[in-house]
Amino acid sequence: MSADEIRRSKIDELHVVGQRLARGDQAEKIAGTTRFAGDLVYPGTLRAGLVRSLVPSARIVRRDAVKALALPGVVEVLFGEDVPHNSVWVDVPGQMTEVAALKANMQVLATDRVRFQGEPVALVLAETEEVLAEACNLVEVDYEGVPGVFDPDEALEPGAPPVHDQGNLLSEWRINTGDVSSAFEVADVIVEGTYTTQFVDHAYLEPEAGLGWLDDEGVLSLRVSTQVVEHYRDVARILGLPETKVRVIAPYVGGGFGGKEDMTVEPYIALGVWRTGRPVRMEWSRQESLQARAKRHPMRLKYRTAARSDGTILGQEIEIVADSGAYAYLSGLVLLYSSVHACGPYRVDNVRLRARCAYTNNPPTSAFRGFGGVQVVLAYESQIDQLARQLDIPPAAIRKLNALVRGDVLPVGQELLTDVLLPDTIDAVYERAGPRPEASGPRKAVGRAIASNIQSYGRLVWLNDAASAWVGFESDGSLRVRCGVQDIGGGQASSLAQIASEVLGTSMDKITVHFGDSALTPRAGTTTATRQLFMSGNAVHDASVQLRNQLLEVVAAESGQPVESLRLEESHVVGAQSRLAIPEALKLCRRDNVPEEALVTFFGPKGSPVAIDLRSSRVFPDFTFGTHLCDLEVDLDTGQVEILRYIAAHDVGRAINPLSVEGQISGAVVQGLGMALLEEVLVEEGNNLTAGFFQYLLPTATDVPAIETVVLESGAGLGPFGARGIGEPPTGPPIAAVANAICDALGVRPTVLPMTPERVLACVAQGGLGDDD
Amino acid sequence: MSSDVTVTITVNGRQLTRTAGGHLSLLRWLREIAGVTDPKCGCGEGICGACAVLVDGRPVSSCIVLAAQVDGGEVTTASGLCEPDGSFSPLQEAFHQHHAAQCGFCTPGMLVCATAMLAEDRRLSRPEIREALHGNLCRCTGYGPIVTAIDSVQQGSHR
Amino acid sequence: MYSRRFQYVRAQSLGDACDMLRRHGDGAKVIAGGQSLLPMVNVGLVTPEVVVDISRVPEARGLARDDGFVVIGALNTHRELMTSELLQADQPLIPAAASHIGNDRVRNRGTLGGSLAHSDPAGELPLVMTAISAMYEVTDGSSTREVKAEEFATSFLTTQLEPDEVVVAARVPVLGPGWGWSFCEMSRRKGDFAVVAAAALVRSAGGALVEARLALGGVADHPVRLGAVEAALAGATYDEIGPRVGAIEGIRPLSDTNASGEYRRHLSRVLAVRALEEAYRRSEEVE
Repeated sequence: MSADEIRRSKIDELHVVGQRLARGDQAEKIAGTTRFAGDLVYPGTLRAGLVRSLVPSARIVRRDAVKALALPGVVEVLFGEDVPHNSVWVDVPGQMTEVAALKANMQVLATDRVRFQGEPVALVLAETEEVLAEACNLVEVDYEGVPGVFDPDEALEPGAPPVHDQGNLLSEWRINTGDVSSAFEVADVIVEGTYTTQFVDHAYLEPEAGLGWLDDEGVLSLRVSTQVVEHYRDVARILGLPETKVRVIAPYVGGGFGGKEDMTVEPYIALGVWRTGRPVRMEWSRQESLQARAKRHPMRLKYRTAARSDGTILGQEIEIVADSGAYAYLSGLVLLYSSVHACGPYRVDNVRLRARCAYTNNPPTSAFRGFGGVQVVLAYESQIDQLARQLDIPPAAIRKLNALVRGDVLPVGQELLTDVLLPDTIDAVYERAGPRPEASGPRKAVGRAIASNIQSYGRLVWLNDAASAWVGFESDGSLRVRCGVQDIGGGQASSLAQIASEVLGTSMDKITVHFGDSALTPRAGTTTATRQLFMSGNAVHDASVQLRNQLLEVVAAESGQPVESLRLEESHVVGAQSRLAIPEALKLCRRDNVPEEALVTFFGPKGSPVAIDLRSSRVFPDFTFGTHLCDLEVDLDTGQVEILRYIAAHDVGRAINPLSVEGQISGAVVQGLGMALLEEVLVEEGNNLTAGFFQYLLPTATDVPAIETVVLESGAGLGPFGARGIGEPPTGPPIAAVANAICDALGVRPTVLPMTPERVLACVAQGGLGDDD
Repeated sequence: MSSDVTVTITVNGRQLTRTAGGHLSLLRWLREIAGVTDPKCGCGEGICGACAVLVDGRPVSSCIVLAAQVDGGEVTTASGLCEPDGSFSPLQEAFHQHHAAQCGFCTPGMLVCATAMLAEDRRLSRPEIREALHGNLCRCTGYGPIVTAIDSVQQGSHR
Repeated sequence: MYSRRFQYVRAQSLGDACDMLRRHGDGAKVIAGGQSLLPMVNVGLVTPEVVVDISRVPEARGLARDDGFVVIGALNTHRELMTSELLQADQPLIPAAASHIGNDRVRNRGTLGGSLAHSDPAGELPLVMTAISAMYEVTDGSSTREVKAEEFATSFLTTQLEPDEVVVAARVPVLGPGWGWSFCEMSRRKGDFAVVAAAALVRSAGGALVEARLALGGVADHPVRLGAVEAALAGATYDEIGPRVGAIEGIRPLSDTNASGEYRRHLSRVLAVRALEEAYRRSEEVE
């Protein structure tokens, strides 16, 4: 069977893929034996910490380490001048080939200017945590305030204080398709809305952490909590080392969500090791992370939507302004995602979109699960909800009417090449939901609403994405898989074992996956962009097929049976009348000069880079679609919202491990609900007011109900066995499902996130439901 | 004058006497002095629950308890919850079967707090389980499988 | 975590602890449960030189009836307050308030004395103590004095405690016959600091309110007794409670990252009414 044929196997022909398997990595995590990045130290490990700017916008006029260096136990204090190449050039991290795209500069340690509160200015290395804490306090930095700007709209005004040397416009994208003016002229109804989203923090439970050391070959090795081992190249560049002299190992990561896509501790640990020759450990505090780690982009989204009286969307006029914070990081690309996803899972022929991203002296913003595809969901789903209400069309019907189908073209110009099961996901949530619940009391109001979305999986095609994997049999018939994938909790590594097991007929307990080592595992690229199942999954799949074919051909030649009559089953090569154990088959391989292993690179689809005027026949490999339904109850006296029920349906193509898929959906939904109701990093004039978990409110088990998931399998995805990606897609709909449901309950639409009790109470009052006294 | 104090704590059945800084939290003492790294530092504020351990059978946030305050006491961490032969406890088995861990960072704390919850020997409804878990943050699972796992132990399906 | 060295000393008695506070002055802090102190130390907000541990002193542990009062030792943990059958019978506002504090882990360690000394404006125990007119017993090691709960807090996170004093006990009146009680809190999530909290006591007879006590937390530097509202409620029927509460005077709710002053003002009224109504209903259920 060809790789393609195996890839499209029907669900009932599969034995391992599709099974709800308790994952191997889970066993160690539950036993408590997993060594996360912060759990390992070597004897003699130094502790590293950063001295960070206290102010959001200033010139650095003096830096003095004399007092710190005088403290016994302080080994080094480094400033920017001590960094061989004190620049982090922002390209797309972990790319497989160079791209002539966005380049912006950020210093590893600031020398002349700080642009956000928390920007690193000095690196301190000390023998113990205690000395480190004292020493950081003793490093003297004097600042001279420089006017800053803290609102992206203001930053884009002429005369605004420049955050960098050039103007504050970091990135702009435009889409102009069809004839928007005519569409609005002939429309029966036009709805408008302005939607505002907030700074959100990844708040992974595991803080940024890692250990670095020089190994016996003089390779600077970093074992860090990261989604991207390819940062070894950035570290090498910073230190002026050949890339072969730096190695990054990613152990199991305690949550990433895009927050560990950029470098965090890597350059600092590396600097420490490089300077002292000693092992160095660094762990950021939660408070430090909340202050200084790049966040989700706050956005202001202005939409005007034109429609016919039957609910057909005729045109969209969209203006997006996003806050890039002080440094670019991945902002330009996030904005690109927002632009491509801005019209949602609907056919819209006439679109005028302008999206801009501005520098400010706020905390920087970068990748976060959804990568710009989340904020726009609030806008396009609120708009279609408004239309539905105004035209008196049921929410399901209006979405089905406009839903994209295979063959439709997105506003950016990309044709949808795979089936779109959007209507099925809509039906699925309503079917599961049953009748609307009743309010629990006279001062309560119940609301029900749905929200649908589209989210890409796989990377932007002009990044020439690729992932490699190696599979090989051991002499006892067990299987080893080597793949650079980073496992951040979604079962990235375990899925590869399941795929290999399916193809090679080796049971899961006989498979070991080695992952996440830039020196020892074939590069598989970043664990981001919902790309790993698609890319490394296909790589492992294809490598397994190649290995399978090698074995079957050698046995066919030896036994005279046709290759098509042989199959792999339970570590045996099985034919009509034969059954040969793998170890025996391997002996034949060795005899006939056939490898017992296979290394395959899977290449993603190709395309040309886009320009500011976005127009491309292919931007992303493919998309995942879904619909969520939310029932909630509003306390009309306090504005508090209780989520009564939440149902999420997605077409995942093929669920390699349904337990993992449901887990991803459930976790993403709760993150979305947090963004909807609770989470906000409050920044005022560049000062971060959110100092800890006592203020940054994450959803707990009492804030959310059991998330019900409906997993649809079209088999139409581009991943192994027809899988689509599912890591990011479920993050988007909750903010809209909740907003729409509150509107359903109160008759007034919340448009600012998070929908705090106070903001909801304002809607209550506006809707005339306040207490009469 | 040295600020070191001598502290004796029995950790997962192993009695340890060590002299170290009196300022050390129980969490740091466990991780750095006793070499027990399954309790994690997630926030340092006692809110996230990743550092939860049992002290004399009761759950505490080890990041906001001083080791010196537990002198003479008994501490159980998640890695001490297995059966004597090293196999999973019913609760751990339930976590495994119900996919109650993804990244695994909150898991030790969850297991410790769930153990304490189940030790009360009072049958808890699912809302009550959620309420009892409200002090344990998880960013990956959405909590559902954790609640299911705990409930399944109560119902005896994992005994 | 921010880790600065400090000296740890274990007090053998409360008197011993007060001596150490005097000896080390400003740089010394008392620790019992540590659930307020250590988070602040971990983030670098507080940098003590000496931490005096009173968690093992033999005193300040009792929880017993003394005539028409219950005397509660300052070292009782929140869990002990929550599960005390004596308090559930004699002054149920206290277990109710304690059950809102943090989570199980905090309640296993945190103490009554710690909460009172920390004096968070939205703190549940200071609020309840104010509502029931409790008295605190405070010592400097050689002498003891009594302080009224409602006078204990002087401003934001500040109490009457001298630098060498510790709380020994709270003396709380037993809830009399015919009284109903209620504790209502609005917090963003369960176990969070209250945005606003209300503690109410009502005695009713013949279908009307005879007497009420009402205190609010989270609306000023410290809990506030609302005497004017209490007076206005005399003789009210259940349905008249809401209208008679009206707009609440004498509070200055602050704005913070959690909520604005205006919202707190609105909540004050909502929670006051809810607490009074629930207390009234309970007063009709008891004899």
